[in-house]
This record gives sequence, structure tokens and C-alpha cells, in this order.
Amino acid sequence: MSEADEALVQVFRDEVEERLDSFVGQLLAAEQGQSTLETVDVLFREAHTIKGAAGMLGFDHVRELAHAAEDLLAPVRADGVFPVELVAPLLRVADTIRLGVDGDVAACVDLAEELRGLAPDATSASAHEAPKPDDVARRTVPSPKRTGDQRSVRVPAEKIDRLLDLVGETVLHQRRLEHELEPASAEAELPESLSDELDVGARLFDELKTAAIGMRTRPLSTIVGKFPRAVRDIAAELGKDVELVVSGDQTELDRIILESLSDPLVHVLRNAIAHGIELPAEREAAGKPVRGRLELRAEQRGPTVEITVADDGRGVPEEALEEARRVGSLVDVLARPGFSTAAAVTDISGRGVGLDAVKVHADTFGGSLEIRSEPGAGTEVVLRLPLALALLDVLLVERHGTTYGIPLGAVDEVVLAGDEPMSLVGRAALNLRGQPIPLEDLADLRGSDAPVLPERAPAVVVASGGRRVAVGCDRLFGEEEVLLGTMSPLLGGAEGYLGTAILGDGTIALVLDPAALVRGSMPRRHAQAPAETTSEMPRVLVVEDSFTVRELQRSILEAAGYRVETARDGREALARVAANGIDLVLTDVEMPELDGLALTRAIRTDAEHGSMPVVIVSSRGSDEDRQAGIEAGADAYIAKNGYDQHALLETVERLVGR
Amino acid sequence: MSAVHVTVRVGPELYALPVDAVLEVAEVDRLTLVPGAPSATLGLQNLRGSALPVFELAALLGVSGGDPSRIVVTECQGSRAGLAVDEVCDVGLLPDGGDESESPLLARAALTDAGLIGVLDLEELFDELQGAAS
Repeated sequence: MSEADEALVQVFRDEVEERLDSFVGQLLAAEQGQSTLETVDVLFREAHTIKGAAGMLGFDHVRELAHAAEDLLAPVRADGVFPVELVAPLLRVADTIRLGVDGDVAACVDLAEELRGLAPDATSASAHEAPKPDDVARRTVPSPKRTGDQRSVRVPAEKIDRLLDLVGETVLHQRRLEHELEPASAEAELPESLSDELDVGARLFDELKTAAIGMRTRPLSTIVGKFPRAVRDIAAELGKDVELVVSGDQTELDRIILESLSDPLVHVLRNAIAHGIELPAEREAAGKPVRGRLELRAEQRGPTVEITVADDGRGVPEEALEEARRVGSLVDVLARPGFSTAAAVTDISGRGVGLDAVKVHADTFGGSLEIRSEPGAGTEVVLRLPLALALLDVLLVERHGTTYGIPLGAVDEVVLAGDEPMSLVGRAALNLRGQPIPLEDLADLRGSDAPVLPERAPAVVVASGGRRVAVGCDRLFGEEEVLLGTMSPLLGGAEGYLGTAILGDGTIALVLDPAALVRGSMPRRHAQAPAETTSEMPRVLVVEDSFTVRELQRSILEAAGYRVETARDGREALARVAANGIDLVLTDVEMPELDGLALTRAIRTDAEHGSMPVVIVSSRGSDEDRQAGIEAGADAYIAKNGYDQHALLETVERLVGR
Repeated sequence: MSAVHVTVRVGPELYALPVDAVLEVAEVDRLTLVPGAPSATLGLQNLRGSALPVFELAALLGVSGGDPSRIVVTECQGSRAGLAVDEVCDVGLLPDGGDESESPLLARAALTDAGLIGVLDLEELFDELQGAAS
């Protein structure tokens, strides 16, 4: 095929894709009872166009199938009413045409054959059905959705980012201009015409900014896709039966907010399953449906988007509610790691882990978090976020020549490190009015090599929930309002950034994600515990390829006081074991690269680490699997289905002899 | 048939990019380092109000001895990237043909009066950058 032909085929593909989108859109609307006078016409027209284009390019099988669809539609075209029974076969046509365009000839030929048998039936069915009065009425109402579709255009995200960058520059330019023109003294006033024009400019820039930022929104559905799977995994892991119901996932949010929202939401879902929804037997005893219900709702309220995660579980403990009545906010109570009665410590701090990330997320973007709970009936976590990010207030700092911005919403205070240098379990800490808080070098958190921080370096205390970390840097530049630009997708691997910002002098600042800063200092976050127990806490390596399961196990182990490290597969785990410091390995079986059994065997044959305790946690619970695990050299084998965290903790405790 | 290409020097070697894919050539200016970014990343450069990611072409191709002074701004698959090179040598016709190259980042290798020139396969190059990023 020549280059020109190939280009033409690409055009054809794009066109078919576009036509099919419209085709399917009409069908789905019709299924919802929203067919209009135009429905049949549009469907017919799209099929016809596809037929023609396919014929020209020699995609005869696609032409055949499009033709068969036309034949289905022709009889109903005359009376203009679209029979709902045609939705299913026509949706299949759309799917099969997609396959056909990619070269699947047989699928198209087969379906075309099948439809030719169907066509007369459809004809007679519709012929018998005289249009009902309400059908007629409905037909005259034009569908607003369709009008919207016709007026929308596709623009690459990159172009919108570019536009936003330019708007940001323009806003800054306006500010510099105002600054330059500021009269030297109060008496020397600007000519009225000039100051009027400046005011007009400021207002226009403001509107331009709002309009441009509004273009950066994406529907929540872009991140919700992975949630059902995550919920299933977590529920299976904990032996619970949970159904996730999502509504309002077409609600739009700023792309930058959306991208960093995914992990916090998984945390909330995880908490709801782990701490809210009861085990099936417990639910039955309480007279509830055995299957727990988890709801994720999103809706726009003015300039704010409200995202709610609601479960029908046991609710938070009564004492937490009592405490909340005293303190004033359930969020503050639950997000505080110290809140505990001895019996409830695992549960509550487990909740705190997830809430933290969510609270930081809300704080960062100027949103809010609210929790409502009723004992026995369930818990509702409500996250309110701005629909679109306007200017973001950041604190600008410098470390090793790079300018970073830390969202002010997450900044507690700024202190000078080194007044009273301390360390705990080999980590630097600083004394903040009697409270030790971990001190991290910003360069270390970002994984960059930099000379050691100066003696009395400034440190920014980033707070989230009850946890704080002091982030050390070379110097502070002060606060600034910046327009957040997205980080290039080509640098997507550089995690922990919300985006970039161009400052007044042209410098590019990297805007940090506070949640990542706190996460970066997390493996050792139990530093508040008495030193003698902390220093002896065994270190567990969790090897698991599923993010959700990994984080779940981490939260269970950390809540029990263990120090936890993670690896995504056996190979990564071996490297980590070889680097020393691990006291026990907890591994999944099925993983890419090197599976859990091979990992176990590799550890057993290692001269230095051969006696390392290894616990296999697997979804495969048959006796044979268990046998294979033990033969590979595992000390214990826990089936994922139905294991509870106590069994896990007991096994770990027994093996590390704590 | 031949097509217009931009020829650049990276260390001792010559490479070419289709002129359509080149938006402009800029000087290496103040680069903002991005800790955590893939290893071939030089940083972000402010290109008239937009933060352009800049990559060292020598590092991407595994060529040693580069001393980047110019940035060839390219666009592919809706993303922009600056490729830092030692020198922009020529903009002109490059004959078609030439052997396929073993390097996946090259579409082909063309033999010209100036010597052997590797013609970059930008789609592959961007795929590689995307891959390294995720």
C-alpha cells in the first residue's frame, strides 16, 4: 500500500470512528427513551456515509455490514419512529464495524448475514405499531445533547495547556505593568484614561483566565474506571461482599485536580471496605443485606464539585463521635493518628492513613472534607473541590538551584532547622514546641543528589491530618499566586508534582504535591511512638503487584506498628532483601518478572538471607497450592479469600518473634 | 524524491529530523532540573511562557561526547519536546532511501556527501520518552 493510500485509510478510520460515536450516541439516547424525529435519519445517514466510504476504499465487508444496517433502518425511516428493539442489533453493528475497519472481515460478513434474516421482522414489527400520541409528542422535542455534540470540537490537551500557559504569562505581564505604572507618590496620580484602561485590562484578563481554565476540565469517569476492580480486590482480600455503585461520573473537574484525586479516593474506598462494611455473617446477624453497598456519587454545585463515598457499614465507634462533638469535627478526630482507646487503635489509625491523603488533597486545592457517620448505619465521606483551579497560592522555596512551590493550603509554618538537632531511629527530627517531627531534606524526598543542607536551613512544616513533616531547603522566596500548568506527559514518571508554574521573572517553579511529600516520609512515620519500641520494630517487605492490595497490607502492618517496605515483583524484592534490613517477607504468588514461589526459593538458596521468614499470601487456596508454597520453602501460607487481618498479624508476629 | 530535513550534530555524529516535525530552534537557556524525571531529561525550559521538557539527544541515542548548545523544538503525537543537540548544521534536501538502521529510534541511515546521517523516527522517539516516563 502506498503512503498516500495509507494516509487515506487513516482518514477513513478517523471518519468511521467519528460517525460511529454519533451512531452509538443516538442509540443510547433512544434506549433511554430520548429518541427524536431525527434519530432514524441520523442513524441512517451515518450508516450510509460509512457504506460509501468503505466501498471507495475497498473495505467491502464494512460496506456490506453498513448496508445491512441501512436495510434495517429503511422500513422505519418512513414513519420516523425508532423502535427500541433495534438498539441491540445496531450496537453490535457499530462494534463489528470497528473490528472490520481493523481488518476483521469474517465478523462483518457473519453479522451482515444474520441481520438480513432479521430485517423483515423488524419491518413488520414497526409496521404494526402505529405511532402513539406520546411518541409523536416526544419527537417534536429536539434533543439538547445532540445540539451540544454538533457544536463541540476536539482540541488536543497540549494546545489547551499552551493556551493556559500564555494566559498565565499575560496575567503576570498585567501585574508587572500595573507595578511599573504605580505612581511614585500619592500626589502624582495617573491620567484617568490610563488608569481606566488598566482596570478594563485587569477585568478582561480575569475573565480570560476563568474561561481558559474552564477548558481544562475532564469528567470524573476518566479515573473511576479502575475503581470497581480495586473494590473487588480489596473486598476479596478481606473476605467481604461489596457492591460499588457509581453515579455522576460525568461530572467535570480540573484535569490537575482529577489526576491527583485517584489515589486518595482509593484510600477512602479501601477504608470503607476495611473499617466500615462488616463481614457477611456480621451483617446478616444485624439484619442487613449480606452484600455491603458502597456508593460513589459526584455532583456539581455551583463552582464546587461534591464527591461522596457512602457505605452502609457499622459506622465509626461511638467514642469517636463523642470526641467529635467535643472537638467539633469528625475529620479531625479520625485523621489524628493519636486518637485511640487501646482496643480501637488498629481500626482508627487505619482510617487515619487514608483520610490523611484525602485531607491534604482537599487542602491543597482549597477544598474541604467532611465526614458524617451513624453507628450501625454507615459512614459518608464528602469531598468538596473547586471545579477548576484558578490561581494557586504557593510558598516558593529553593533547593539545589531548583525553585519549588508548596501549596499554601498544606503549609503549617516555617521554622529554622538545626536549633536543636535530634534524631530518632537514625532519622533527623526537629523539636517543634516539644513535639518531635521528622525532618526531611527536600532533595532527598525528590530523590536528587544535593550537597548537605546548611546548618540552620529553613524548613517548611507541611501538615496533613495529624501528621507533619518538616521539609528542609536552601532558602525561602516567599508566597506567590501562580497559575498551575500541567507537567508534560513526557515527564510523567517524575511523580510527586502537581504541575509547573512560570514565575514573574521567567523562572519555572515545580509545584509539589503535598500528599507526596508526606508519603515520602511515611515509612518511618510512627516516630511519635516511644523510642525503645520503635527502634526494635521489625521491618516487613510486602511483595505484591496490585497497588490496592499492597497498600492494604501496608496499612494493616503499619497500624500494628511494623515498619513496611514494598516491592512490586519478586525481582525487586530480591534486590531489596540483598540490601539488608528486612526481617520478614510477605509475598503474593502471581506476579510479573519473578513470582512468589521463585522468590521464596531464591531466598532459601541465598547464603546470607536463607533463614529469612517468608509468608505467602495467595488467592489460590487449594491444598496443592499450599503444598507448593511450603515446598518452595515458605514458613506460612495464608489464603487471601477470607483471611482477616488478625490471622495475618498473628502469623507475622509468630515468625518475627516479637 | 527527497524531503527537507534539519540536520544536527550530536558529538561526532550527524542526525536528521523531518522539517515538518521541527517547530523552531532555540538556544539552551536556564534549565529547571526536574528530580525524578527520566535520565535523559535535561530539565524544563521556559519557551515564551510555556514549560518545555528538554531531553539530551546524545543520551537518548547512546552517543557520547555531546555538548548541547541548541534545542530543536519538535512536536509529535500532540506533545512537545526539546531535543538538545550540539549544533544545527543544515536545513535541506535529504535523499530518500538508505538502509534501515538497527537502532529502533532511527527510521533509516542515509549516506550523503556530508557523511552518514541517521534519520530519526520521531514517533519511536516519543514512544520511548513516554515509556520511560510511565
